[in-house]
Amino acid sequence: MISSRNPLRDRVAFAGAATTGFVAANTGRSQASLAAEACIKVLRECGLTAADVDGICGSAPSAPHVQAMLGIPEVTWFANPMIPFVNHVAAAVSAVASGLCETVLAYHAAYRLPWNTGSAWKDPFRRQDGAGPRPLNRAPDSFAGSVGYTAWASRYLHEFRPPPETLGYVAVNDRSNAAANPAAAMRAPLTMADYLASRYVRWPLRLLDMDVAVDGADAFVITTAERARDLPNPPVLVDAVALGMTDKNDEDQAPDLDHHGQQVTIRALRAKSGFWIDDCDVYFPYDGFSIITLNWIENAGWCGRGEAGDFLKQHWDAASNRVLIDGRIPINPHGGSLSEGGTQGSGHVREAVHQLQGLAGERQVAGAERAIVTAGGFFFNAQGVTLHRG
Amino acid sequence: MISDEELLDRFAGYGVDHDTAAHLRGRLARQLLINRCAECGHWHHPPRPVCPQCWSTRVTAEPVAGTGTIDLTVFLHQGPPATGVDYSTPYPLVAVELDEQPGLRFTATVAGADNDDVRIGRRVRLDWIERDDVPVPVWRLEEGA
Repeated sequence: MISSRNPLRDRVAFAGAATTGFVAANTGRSQASLAAEACIKVLRECGLTAADVDGICGSAPSAPHVQAMLGIPEVTWFANPMIPFVNHVAAAVSAVASGLCETVLAYHAAYRLPWNTGSAWKDPFRRQDGAGPRPLNRAPDSFAGSVGYTAWASRYLHEFRPPPETLGYVAVNDRSNAAANPAAAMRAPLTMADYLASRYVRWPLRLLDMDVAVDGADAFVITTAERARDLPNPPVLVDAVALGMTDKNDEDQAPDLDHHGQQVTIRALRAKSGFWIDDCDVYFPYDGFSIITLNWIENAGWCGRGEAGDFLKQHWDAASNRVLIDGRIPINPHGGSLSEGGTQGSGHVREAVHQLQGLAGERQVAGAERAIVTAGGFFFNAQGVTLHRG
Repeated sequence: MISDEELLDRFAGYGVDHDTAAHLRGRLARQLLINRCAECGHWHHPPRPVCPQCWSTRVTAEPVAGTGTIDLTVFLHQGPPATGVDYSTPYPLVAVELDEQPGLRFTATVAGADNDDVRIGRRVRLDWIERDDVPVPVWRLEEGA
């Protein structure tokens, strides 16, 4: 059942967003230290002190850890949602809209750990974190976790038989965009030939189809629209949020490519939102794996099923070696998960906020007023948020 | 029947709990047991404590025929260390739709096949290998299917 109720629309705003920037290496820092840096940066940019915060929202470190670390005297609400980051956006926006608190400090510290990169085992402190949740079958005999996306990539290729460059457009677009983002981990130019020559990690996906594990953090101030208007930076209003999920959400049990969380997310956003792709100035389809991006583009309605590769080719801007839909709308202008770094969606939300604030530097989309973020994958983590300039 | 303690010990690294124990005990007898509702007959996997179709708690792990069709395929060119797994030949992992019910899938590797022959749509049957002293379910390609 999809409800079109949306009492939160335009009542909650992002007042600011900040990042530490990202590196594809084990820094000698803790996840908490990265989160602290981003949190302090965003509060200072908003002209706020610790005492102005009455809500905290993030995954790791926990909200209590962050409160103690930053000396935030009192909060009336906090949450530790699971990634990706639109979960955090949904929780924080709901808390502000309902009055559980007024000003949320939301953060996400991307951190290289055994679940996202084998290289994390080299750091004994990170090794303690283990390999993540334990599925029924022991690895490597399970599609649980990231391998599940590769499995459905095989299905996509089987059903639509696209040319080999198809997934490569996502990787090259991200890298070309990252060149203009000083926060990005991977900025060296990438050609389609480079993509096609990159090694398979899990066939049919190559190394360059997979997000890059990074150290770095993003942080946000989410508050009432009224309060945001009194703060130094332009407010970005939340139009609609949706976390879409179906009952068959185990990686190997989804019925097919047309019945998973993405379709639910899109239907919910379209029912609740005041605008859709015809009025969108910048689009953020998740790209933790390139196959996810193709499916978001199709499910959002930019083109038909199986046509995302043709769509990206058709809207390719040869001069900038990236996608500009109708010559104007970039996709993941910050470089996305594949090139800025695997931020589990916080980078996409941060860049959307900066674009709508007019603070995106040399990546700025002229006159950007509306953004759509469709984050997460297929199973238990498809989600989206629509934002517009206040 | 072996104790819970021993089951946990035998299946180190697997997801062992009260909901998966019957399935894993079945493996020790080289039987693939899948949860089925005693009230409405609906199968589901991985094992859950209630039937997602009718909410009955009368769910029991029952043997399946061990035949099906490949729906999803991955070849791991690298992966976590595992006894007897050499990624120099990419390790196949497939989700197989079991003949018992549309959309009911069981994921395992394919043993004894040329990777070029492991494709979506191929018919397979269940077999077992031994790894770290526990039986591991594997798929084998049916001839010419």
